[in-house]
Amino acid sequence: MASAALSHLTQLLDSKHLAGTLTRPMEGGRPCIGTGVSLLDDAEHLAGGWPKGQLSEVIGSPSSGRTSVVMATLAAVTQQGGMVALVDVADRLDPASAEAAGVVLDRLLWVRGPQLSWGASQMTVGDLAVQRGLRAFDLIVRAGGVAVVVFDVADVPARHLRSLAASTWLRLGYVLEGRDTVGLVMGAQPIGRSAHGVSLTLQAKGKWTGRSAQSRRLTGLAVTPDVSQRVRRVRSAQPSGKEATPCLFALSATL
Amino acid sequence: MFICLIRDSLSASKPGVLETVARACSPRVEAHGDDVVVCDARGLTRVIGAPAVIAEEMRRMAWERGLGVRVAIAGSQTAAWLLAHVRPGATIVPSGDEARMLERLPLSALIILPAPPRPTMALPSSKPAPPSTKNDMQPLRTSKAGQSDLQSRAVAEALSICDRWGLVTLGDLARLPRADVLTRMGPVGVRLHQAACGEDATPMVPTGEAPRFVERMELEWPVEGLEPLSFVLARICDALSVTLARADRGAVTITTRLRLVTKAMHERTLTLPSPMREAKTLRTLILLDLEAHPAPAGIDVVEVECGVTPGRIAQGSLLAYTVPTPEDLSTLLARLQALVGDSRVGAPVIVDTHNPRVSSMKPFVLSTRLHQGFGGQAPAPKNSEPRTSIRRLRVPVPVRVRVERGRPVSVALSERITLSERTSVRESKGVTTAAGPWRTSGHWWTSDAQTWDRDEWDVALESGVIYRLARNRQTDAWELEGEID
Repeated sequence: MASAALSHLTQLLDSKHLAGTLTRPMEGGRPCIGTGVSLLDDAEHLAGGWPKGQLSEVIGSPSSGRTSVVMATLAAVTQQGGMVALVDVADRLDPASAEAAGVVLDRLLWVRGPQLSWGASQMTVGDLAVQRGLRAFDLIVRAGGVAVVVFDVADVPARHLRSLAASTWLRLGYVLEGRDTVGLVMGAQPIGRSAHGVSLTLQAKGKWTGRSAQSRRLTGLAVTPDVSQRVRRVRSAQPSGKEATPCLFALSATL
Repeated sequence: MFICLIRDSLSASKPGVLETVARACSPRVEAHGDDVVVCDARGLTRVIGAPAVIAEEMRRMAWERGLGVRVAIAGSQTAAWLLAHVRPGATIVPSGDEARMLERLPLSALIILPAPPRPTMALPSSKPAPPSTKNDMQPLRTSKAGQSDLQSRAVAEALSICDRWGLVTLGDLARLPRADVLTRMGPVGVRLHQAACGEDATPMVPTGEAPRFVERMELEWPVEGLEPLSFVLARICDALSVTLARADRGAVTITTRLRLVTKAMHERTLTLPSPMREAKTLRTLILLDLEAHPAPAGIDVVEVECGVTPGRIAQGSLLAYTVPTPEDLSTLLARLQALVGDSRVGAPVIVDTHNPRVSSMKPFVLSTRLHQGFGGQAPAPKNSEPRTSIRRLRVPVPVRVRVERGRPVSVALSERITLSERTSVRESKGVTTAAGPWRTSGHWWTSDAQTWDRDEWDVALESGVIYRLARNRQTDAWELEGEID
């Protein structure tokens, strides 16, 4: 009975072109793009990388390594001849860091947001910047041929994101569906993703070296990733409680 | 009778102007690059006037187009060529007086002789030449700058021989028996002897006029707004696309000229990143550009002209990533520029400076060269180890920092500026770890605003955030550069 109801529901969604909204167990061999961090691509985490044709998200507080993970992805793709795009709503990209991370800058389409202080008086302007960023993301995805499109709203206050319509992320996921493009949203809090996308939550601690205050320097970040909100066969057999994930990879300082 | 037109050395080069002037006077024109043109002047005396009038008229036409020129009119191309290169202003050689006019010129003038024409006999495997255009037309004979090294070396060697013989002027060389010159210097010597006598070695080879890819439509009623204009542009672009396809050309620039009801002209020129001829793409690009720069009044006449280049043949790869087609990419960039502005879309650029705050971007042009390694395989990523990045504030935020024993111990953002809703950051936060200072300075040799002299610190706060701070050593003010992420 339940199976018949589920089948009917699936058919109904298919007829409305909303099949992508169903969360199904991940099929093996689904096309992915590697993150550029080998430990993240293993079976215990992303199982190959970011799924193509899906909207995924990278979540983390400031200094959690989210930008570094995104840059590693962009570096991996651009070094193999792919084109990537970054919709930088808050205009925070540092080209020198990106190049040091291995990104081929000639293959990075950089769409910069306006220079804002994101203060309370900038409410309307901030909303407009986010709306324009979304429109730019939509245009890039629809153009096709871009391997990874990143929507960076990590420094956009949550009130601007809350003002978006609830269907925004659903529509973006629908635009991505069936394409070879990976959509990534980078934010401080969970924002939105498509049903088959992944949410990668990062936490990090600074790694310092030097015994004395004078010789101390930052050597990188020790990052603890957590893949959540994803139905995977590997994890379905495990207990649902969150276990403490050990530190998996380290990011070395470049500058 | 031949006319040689040369751009004066005091004028900046303007491609196409000399040829336009020459074609306005004569139907037989041979262009030697952008700076030298030779044309046939036979019969012009009946149309324009005496040679002096022709020369003056051509100089006036070039001057009106912003180009100063030298003109020489002589009975042979070679005499006109040499005199135009050597003498400023206008030089008129009476018929039969070529040798006399040339005899006082120094022998070194022969170094500027045009290179001999290429063999015209086609090889069996060669394809028929496509119709020439302004962009791809190669002159059969080139001026001094375009001479082949081999030819230049041969001429220089022959001139050095003449110098050793004690010859100083062209007249000295012309007085030698040509047969003896051939015996001692070979064919190069004969060519130099012919030039010294003012004789042509080869006939003039006129080049065809470059076809213009232009479509024009005069409207019965003025149109206002983009929607009715899009229908007009669709018809124009369809016709242009067919013309371009027939000539195997792709548009690299699109110039849209709109004559308005006010009799003013609204002209826009788009430079395309790669050649294209798809009508839909051309129309979309024009419309997007006109959307950003609309015409101020109703439109009477629409004219679209394409600058062209030979057609593009590209072979994709099964192994490399798929990238947008040039047409899609151009449309995407035009749409993004219309959305966020021209200056906010592009590719990041590393600026040649040690100042970390400086960043720049350039127009995004996707290289067609595939990043392939051996055997067509995509190369492995260079950096297997991920690196940290900094999220840099384009305009650094002033912060209040308490310093003890030369090291920051607490940080508080200024109240007037907030990065985001991280209200906790506004409060003074203790520094758990600090590393630095790293001193950077630059432009100290100038006294302008570009001068910087800073101490940079990496500080970890109690909240776990790692910031990069900078202390201005001149004002002792602290600023937040960005955060390590």
